Amino acid sequence: MPHQRFPKVEILSIQPHEIQFILSDTDTSVANALRRIMIAEVPTLAIDLVEFHENTTVLNDEYIAHRLGLIPIKYTPPDSMGGGDCNGAFLPHRECVCYERCPRCSVEFELDVNFDVAVRERQVPEHERCLPFTVTSADLRSNNDLVQPAHFLSQEEEGASHDQGISIVKIGPGQHLKLKAIARMGISKEHAKWSPVAVATYRFFPIININEEACSTLTQDQKQQLVDVCPDRILEIDPVSGKIIVSEHAWETATFTEDLKIAQNAMKKRPEDDDFVTVEHSTDRFIFSVEGTGAMDAEEIVMSSLRVLKDRLHYLGNMIEALKESGM
Amino acid sequence: MNAPERALSFLLDEDNNEQKITYSADTKVSNAGTFTINKEDHTIANLLRMQLLRDPSVRFVGYIHPHPLVHRIDLKIQTASSTVAPIDVLQSATEDLAGETDHLTTQMTEAIHKWKKENQSGIGQFN
Repeated sequence: MPHQRFPKVEILSIQPHEIQFILSDTDTSVANALRRIMIAEVPTLAIDLVEFHENTTVLNDEYIAHRLGLIPIKYTPPDSMGGGDCNGAFLPHRECVCYERCPRCSVEFELDVNFDVAVRERQVPEHERCLPFTVTSADLRSNNDLVQPAHFLSQEEEGASHDQGISIVKIGPGQHLKLKAIARMGISKEHAKWSPVAVATYRFFPIININEEACSTLTQDQKQQLVDVCPDRILEIDPVSGKIIVSEHAWETATFTEDLKIAQNAMKKRPEDDDFVTVEHSTDRFIFSVEGTGAMDAEEIVMSSLRVLKDRLHYLGNMIEALKESGM
Repeated sequence: MNAPERALSFLLDEDNNEQKITYSADTKVSNAGTFTINKEDHTIANLLRMQLLRDPSVRFVGYIHPHPLVHRIDLKIQTASSTVAPIDVLQSATEDLAGETDHLTTQMTEAIHKWKKENQSGIGQFN
């Protein structure tokens, strides 16, 4: 292929809910396209229709339906443990041949919580019988074992929480909530509830250049001043030679502030002299940080976004081919 | 009441026979034309534009997303000579990008495997 790029990937860390990696040898447009796809076009499951049978709680129907929609729904493929890509397992409901809904394009959740019944079942002591308790995402019963709401982001969060899952509504004596919720596949462009990420960002790798010649004209105090003025601590004084050097972790902490420039302008003998230290954005190395909502594992989100991009480009390629053949 | 359906921002309007991509040659400039791609936004447009800029047979390339509520982009391409048509450079750019995405996918899968092997002891380890 004539002008193809060959990007490289280096993983920094992978946790179920977060992945950080460095993408290099590629253009900003590729990094941005990946970021935009992760935020807006990765298909996930979310509750889309709610049928209320009973609602005597303090929140009205649409309020509860809105909250249910925002609960992250996790699809666990049969051979893995964490949240996976639901694209192969479900059809978008617009493409499904069924009349209204079927197990192929949707998942049904049932929720039935009656305060009086629950208080009896959980054997709450006498003096606590009238205290409200929380209906959480743990009370949603799915009809598909592979699809469950993602109650917590991580083990620590689960340990720290008082509830069994994401709180939906608090109910008190005499209140009853009974509903049936249908979850469907969609993308975030249609509604933000389908977004698989909490945060998907990238920042530029810093290129820090130290002009040795110019630096040798500085006094030791001035060098220390340059090192101290950076709030992100990207510079250090080498204990052996006394020169300014870039610190080991500079690429992690660099924030491209103006402090260094301002301090250097004050130190220069003439304004048009070269800078002692320059910090620039790299144009082809990016540090990505993707944090999920719990619905999909972070690395699955990245793989899914690459698949979406590939499918989109293939589709466009086919359309262009068709346009060419039809003689424009 | 007047709000358009959200899904129309990414689904083609089948009822009005909307095409994904159409072309209109530029009457005043030689070897130039504008591609109108429906139901796309900066994600693909910027990607195509930057890839086309790498092609030496492209003299001019630019794109516009005319209005956030109108879901189409106009991509104008002018080639350096009449031997290469704008649609040809667009096709090769799309193929190059598809190849790059494939390469990136394999790199990513390998990098994840390698990291997992190096950083997790294997059986008995949660994801």
